Parts: sequence; C-alpha cells; structure tokens
Amino acid sequence: MPDIRLTHLSRVFGAFKAVDDITTVFPEGTVTCLLGPSGCGKTTLMRMIAGLEMPTTGSINFGQREMTHLPPGKRDVAMVFQYPVMYRTLSVIENIELPLRRDRKLSAAECRRRADEVLEVLQLTGERHKHIGDLDIGTRQKVAVGRAIARRCDVILFDEPTTNVEVHAKLALIRAFKEFRARLKQTVIYVTHDQTEAMTLADQIALMQSGRISQCAPPHVMYDKPESRFGGWFLGNPGMNFVMPRGRENGTIRFDVLPGALAFPALTLGEVSLGIRPEHVDVLAAPSEDAVPARIIRSSITIGGQNLLSLAVGETRLKAKTAPGAPPADGSTVFIRCRLEHAVFFNDGLRLPEAVRLAS
Amino acid sequence: METGAPAALTPTRDAPAARHGLWDGFTRFLGRREVLPLLLLIPVLIFFIVWNLIPTLWLLGLGFYRFSLTSGRPPRFAGIYNYQTILNDAGIWFDLSRTFIFVFFAVALETIFGVALGLLFWNSHRLPGRRIALTMLFAPMVLTPVAAGTFWRLIYDPTFGVLNFMIRGLGFRSVDFLGDSHVAFGAVLAVDVWMWTPFMVLMTLAALASVPKAELEAAEIDRLAWHQRLRLIVLHHGKFILMLGILLRTIDAFKTMDLIYDMTYGGPGSTTQLVAMTLYRRAFEAFNMGSSSALAVILLLISIAFTATFIFVLHWRERREASP
Repeated sequence: MPDIRLTHLSRVFGAFKAVDDITTVFPEGTVTCLLGPSGCGKTTLMRMIAGLEMPTTGSINFGQREMTHLPPGKRDVAMVFQYPVMYRTLSVIENIELPLRRDRKLSAAECRRRADEVLEVLQLTGERHKHIGDLDIGTRQKVAVGRAIARRCDVILFDEPTTNVEVHAKLALIRAFKEFRARLKQTVIYVTHDQTEAMTLADQIALMQSGRISQCAPPHVMYDKPESRFGGWFLGNPGMNFVMPRGRENGTIRFDVLPGALAFPALTLGEVSLGIRPEHVDVLAAPSEDAVPARIIRSSITIGGQNLLSLAVGETRLKAKTAPGAPPADGSTVFIRCRLEHAVFFNDGLRLPEAVRLAS
Repeated sequence: METGAPAALTPTRDAPAARHGLWDGFTRFLGRREVLPLLLLIPVLIFFIVWNLIPTLWLLGLGFYRFSLTSGRPPRFAGIYNYQTILNDAGIWFDLSRTFIFVFFAVALETIFGVALGLLFWNSHRLPGRRIALTMLFAPMVLTPVAAGTFWRLIYDPTFGVLNFMIRGLGFRSVDFLGDSHVAFGAVLAVDVWMWTPFMVLMTLAALASVPKAELEAAEIDRLAWHQRLRLIVLHHGKFILMLGILLRTIDAFKTMDLIYDMTYGGPGSTTQLVAMTLYRRAFEAFNMGSSSALAVILLLISIAFTATFIFVLHWRERREASP
C-alpha cells in the first residue's frame, strides 16, 4: 500500500483559502484522522485526495505515482460519504458487488466471496438480499462501508461516516471499522469532527485549522503535547485550561495556580501561557506546600460520573476533573495542585520546547 | 338655559355601537381558522366551476343529443346514438390509429432527443455560449404553432423552400414534403419534434437537477460505466420529472390540431388527419355539435386513461415493494 504525499497543496474558492499550502505525508497502512472544526478544510483536503476536487496549486502522490490531475476512477481509492450513498434500485449484495464487477481481474466467484466476507464482518448476512429501501440509515451506512472495504483499494477515504447515524449504529460501525483494520492494511484517511472517534480509531491525527494542518501526531502525543493553544483547546472535553501569568521578574514568571515562580532561560518571550488539562489539576481538601487555595464556583457531573469543577484562583478561572463522589459545595474553598509534569507552556500560542522550562 | 339639539339630529350612542358590533362580528368570522382558507379558495373555485366544470358537464350532456347548428332544429335526446355512430365509423378509427402512431413517434423522438440534449447541457456551466445555445434551443417551444407551421411550410415548399434548394444542390429531385402522401406525415411529425424537443430538454434539466451530487461522485469513485450511472442514479432520481414531461407531451400531442391545420389541413387525402382535426371539422365545419361532443368525451377518456396508466407505471415498483 502506498503512502500519500501532499506537496504545497492549496485550494482556493474565490477569495477563500479552503486548503492553504499543506505539505505532509500520510504513511502507508495507517489510519490518519483529519480532525478540526467545521470549515477548517478537512473535507476539501480529502476530496482533493479522492480526485473529486482539483487543487489550485500543489501535488498529490500515492507512493511514487503522481495523482494530482487523475480522475477518481483512476486513483484506486474507495470512499464512504457522510450520508449513506447507495444504488437504491439494487439489493445489499448487489450494492457491494457492483464496483467489484467493474474490475475485470476478479471472477464472479471472487466478487461474491469478498462481498460475503464483508457482510459477515458487518453482521449483515441476514440482510444480503434485502432491498436498500428497506434498511434504516445506520444499516445503509454499514453497506456503504462494506462496499468501500470490499474493493481493497490502496486508499480508503471516510468523510464523517458516523455523523448522521444514531448512536448504536455508530458504535457498530466503529466496531466493524476496527475489525477491518485488523485484517486489511490500507492507507486510510478518516475525516471527523468527533475527537473521541479520532482518538479511538487513528494511528495519527492531523489537526486542521483555517486550511492548514496545525499538528500531525499520534493521538496520545496530540493530547499530551499540543503544538498550539488551538490543539490544547480543541482536544479534550472540556479542553485544556490556559492560565495567563500574573507577573514577570528577572527571568521568572508567576502564575496564580502555582505556589512559586517558574524560571525560563534567556529566551525572547512573548505572551506566555500555561496549559493544563482538567484531569491534571488535583483538588485537595487540606492545604499543601505545592497547592494554592481556590474557590469552587460551580460543579457538575460528566459522563462516567467524574465531577467537573469550575474554580477561581484570584482572577484566574480553570476547570478540574475529580473522581466520582460527592463534590465540594459551591462557594467552598479547596486547594489545587497542578501537576507540572503534564503542564505545557505556550509562547505566543505555540508550545515551548520542554527543555526550556525549569521549575524554580 | 341649555336648550339642546332636536332629538332627530342628535346622533344617538346606539347606532355606532351597533355598527361596531356588526364589524366586530364580521372580523371575528374572518378570524376563524377555517374561514380564511375557504375565502381565499373562492376565486379559484368560481373560475374552475365556470370554465371547467360547467363546460365539461355541458359537453357530456350534449353528447347524448342530436344537435346540428345547420338543421335549425332544437337538440333532440338520442341516448348513445352519437357514441354508436362514432364507434361504427371506420374513418374515426383510422384517424385514431394515425393519432396514436403520431403520439408514439413524436413523444419517443422528443424524449430521446430531449434527454440526449439535456445530458449534453448538464454540467456545462463553464461552456462558452451555453446561455445563447439554450435560448436558441428553447425558441421553437415559445413560437405559436401557427407561426411554426407557416414557417415550416415555406421551408418545405417544393419550389421556393430552402430545404428543397439544398436537396437540389446535392443533386436530388425536389420533394413535395407536404403534398406527397408518403412523406407528409413524417414532415409534420418532424416539425412537432422540432417544436417540442426543447420542452423535454427543460424537463430533463429539471430531472437532472434533482440527482444528488454525492451519488454521482460515489459512482465516479466506484468506476461505474456511464450507462450504469444513467440507469442506477440519473433515471432513478429523475424518473418522476421525466415521466411527468412524457405525460404532458403525450396529452398535448394527442390534441395536436393547429399545426396540422396550418401545414396540411389533414391532407394529402387524410394522411395527416389526426383525431383532433376530425373533431374540429365535425364541430366547426359540419356544425354537428352532438357528435363532436361525443367524440370530445371519448378523447377526454383516452387522455384520462393515458394519465392513469403513466401514474400506475410510475408507482408500480413502490407498490410492489410495499406489498407483503
């Protein structure tokens, strides 16, 4: 399976740059999730890889093969759309077999065998002769996934396939996707705005913002070490807390949420901020030397039973996640400890390398 | 001392109150949820009753009477005599069969050319001259049939016609398109196809606009052949609008009269005489109102049968799928 190489790829619609000078490689046999808010250019980027959209500038290569101006049919790609796209006059099995039959190298028996295989994995064997009109939207999307997988193309593209299906069908689709991943090793691009889906399915996440890829990294790296404040804010529910400094003095910077000052080496520092995720803020009932007092503004319960606390430390507001159980009362005073080993520092919105940070 | 005005000239307090009461009642009546829609429907209902329902009932009734404007006698009830006469008239059967042949070929050719041209114009937004080409294509449709008939009569003219000029230029003998019984029917048919193919182009473009883009893109990625895309996607989504176009054209072609009247007057002999022309002749040349009304009723029933058949075919698959 080839890797996908994008070189200075741009797509402009009038005055709007949907994709802005992207150069990156999606390695062969991996799942890359294009993640980002609506309108960030992820679907346009994927459509250019599919050949459904022509780039304004730049090039697309699958391995050594230049694909930039080839039509979709000559790229050996399969695609699953946001809405289940079906050939509605055909049955389930006919829908899956139809693209396979266009491949003259495949015998009728092989087409049937592949179709049966995907139906089995998708647990649709009982529906094989059903008419598409008799299926619900989730099952239709499963068939669309099956049709894409059965072709065994070099590249498979998924354009937010779970957005329009109900939650059970979504889980079934994700399960089927993982099952296929264990069997086949195609290069997969998966567009989503659902960060949980991206964290669960991806080998690497390409986080997009305003037509650019702001960071491309494995999910845990993306979560723990976001390259920008945008990455820290976008990933996580709720996103990262950003704490602005209270004062600077002789190369040290003080933050409300830390008991002491932090020393930074001699760097040209702009607007520095401390980023810390809510689960890395410990809430203590008793004072501690590495904790600072905070007032609870509001508490709520998240999925999974954890408490989400909104806290105030002086002028600074931040959120903390604590273990399930009765939360402290609103308005009460607690002590918070930010685990600095998980903290990230940003200079003018971009992450500072770890080596330059020294705790005093 | 205050004398006051005479009682008759003094406005009483009760009169405006009563007027207000009436007005309030009227506005309350208008304000009722079921009243306003009915009031808005009244103009359409009046129009429908005066121009559709009464003439149709009149027509139905007149079909059972012997009534000729030339006899000077009042209408006489004749039961189904007019219908029996029509059904036993071989000429009517010939005219009907000729009409069916005309309708079949006209609608088939218009559909084939219309769909083909519609597909060519589809997604050609960036093609230079597209707008002017479309305008020119639609021009025949907006011409009155009489103007088109006159125009084509001149083109077909064996002596001065431009078509015969070209035929002679190619070394062939002139053809009397509208005077030769072997050619006249085809010549009139060609003009009808020329006039109404743009309508089917329009319907095809409307049908194509209803095709979801994602399905076409999926077909492109799945490398489906053009005929598979046409059958599985384009026709599937556009069939209702296309069938509607075919239905409208069928009913309209069945009524073709003015074009024939202007071009051949049903001749030579009766080779281009369609049933609508027969109806015209019975009603406005022979002034046989009873017989022509009966014939009109028969044509109306045939048109209803066309419509019912089309709708049945259109929904046949859905009904079959819905059945257990």
